[in-house]
Amino acid sequence: MEEYVNKGIKEIIDEFPEVEDILNDYDIGCGPCNVGICLLKDIVTIHQLPEDQERQLMARIAKAIHPEQDIRIPRAEKKTAAKPEGLKYSPPMKKLVDEHVLIKRWIALIPEVVKNLDVESEEGRRLILDGIDMIRSYADKYHHAKEEDILFKYFDEEADIIKVMHEDHTRGRALVKEMLAALEKRDAKTIAANLMAYRELLTEHIRKEDEILYPWMDNQLSTHQVGELFAQFDEVDRQIDVSPGKYEALINQLEKKIEKQQG
Amino acid sequence: MNKFEGCPGSRMMDFNRTDEDNTGPAVGKIKSQLTQWPIQMHLINPSAPYYQGADVLLTADCVAYALGDFHREYLKDKSIAIACPKLDQGQDVYLEKIKAWIDDAKINTLTILIMQVPCCMGLLNLARQSADGAKRKVPIKYVVVGVQGEILQEEWGAA
Repeated sequence: MEEYVNKGIKEIIDEFPEVEDILNDYDIGCGPCNVGICLLKDIVTIHQLPEDQERQLMARIAKAIHPEQDIRIPRAEKKTAAKPEGLKYSPPMKKLVDEHVLIKRWIALIPEVVKNLDVESEEGRRLILDGIDMIRSYADKYHHAKEEDILFKYFDEEADIIKVMHEDHTRGRALVKEMLAALEKRDAKTIAANLMAYRELLTEHIRKEDEILYPWMDNQLSTHQVGELFAQFDEVDRQIDVSPGKYEALINQLEKKIEKQQG
Repeated sequence: MNKFEGCPGSRMMDFNRTDEDNTGPAVGKIKSQLTQWPIQMHLINPSAPYYQGADVLLTADCVAYALGDFHREYLKDKSIAIACPKLDQGQDVYLEKIKAWIDDAKINTLTILIMQVPCCMGLLNLARQSADGAKRKVPIKYVVVGVQGEILQEEWGAA
């Protein structure tokens, strides 16, 4: 079979006419083609059949070529249209959307963190500081800085939608500042209130960005600008002294801890 | 498709256009947006100055004939190469040239324009394979053009 995979289809059909009918069954009409130089392997690849259909097609061709061999023909599932799979966002916007995932995982944990808030013990205060560090370093410095220093500059920063995003970032920073001051005073009530306010703020902020702002921006950006943004985000990631892996490990650890607490 | 229709890439079709189909807004002579030569993938040098940091268009041969507004909508401000994934020989060279665009010429973006016929997916697969093997990552957009010049799909792919 191996030698036929790299042969021109016309040659195969001439030798095994049944192959033409088999290909027709999968809407691959090579028979009438006057050229016929496409290799069998390329024909199978470029028609992008679903995996099960491709397996079935190849098994049927193999059986036509080697009828003496016992070749099992798998059953194919329902056919799906073959087309390239695209992204909902351009690559730089997709990067920002992907960065939201870790932030969303953190804010999902906030109610449990608040429930068990401990400002007295070293361990309790460490947990609060780690959470605040996640907000300041990952969400703000690593993520929001890409928006404020790069992305928003491509648009009219006086536009209402951009102003709202800036206001959300400013509000988030103010909440963090208050939390740090409250931790100094071991004021659990203020920390809890601010963590919950931050959760509410960021939940809505991320929803606005993922569903409204980024798709709108993608529609405005030229292909050239998308390339520029992608390169600039990449440069920030290489230069910045924030390690996303550190915060992913922190969230993993916290999720496990909370899962354990919940039994 | 029945068995008499043959390969969608070479099947005969008559669009029966009428004069009414030619009532678009374009009037007068349309200026070419081509800014380089050569353009055929075997002939181009991927490190030519016009590819450095450029937004590059890799287009299946048939696209420019099918797409009425090709120059203004797609070619403008871009560098180009053309290829036919069905008929061109020695496409291994293409893999290396695309990789050289990404890694050496440090192109800004790569846009792949293909026809809707299945064999054109070969060009997209080739570009993806090259991009996967490159050290740098660049945004890749693909555009699928119908045989009557309509845009069937225009999306960004994974960088």
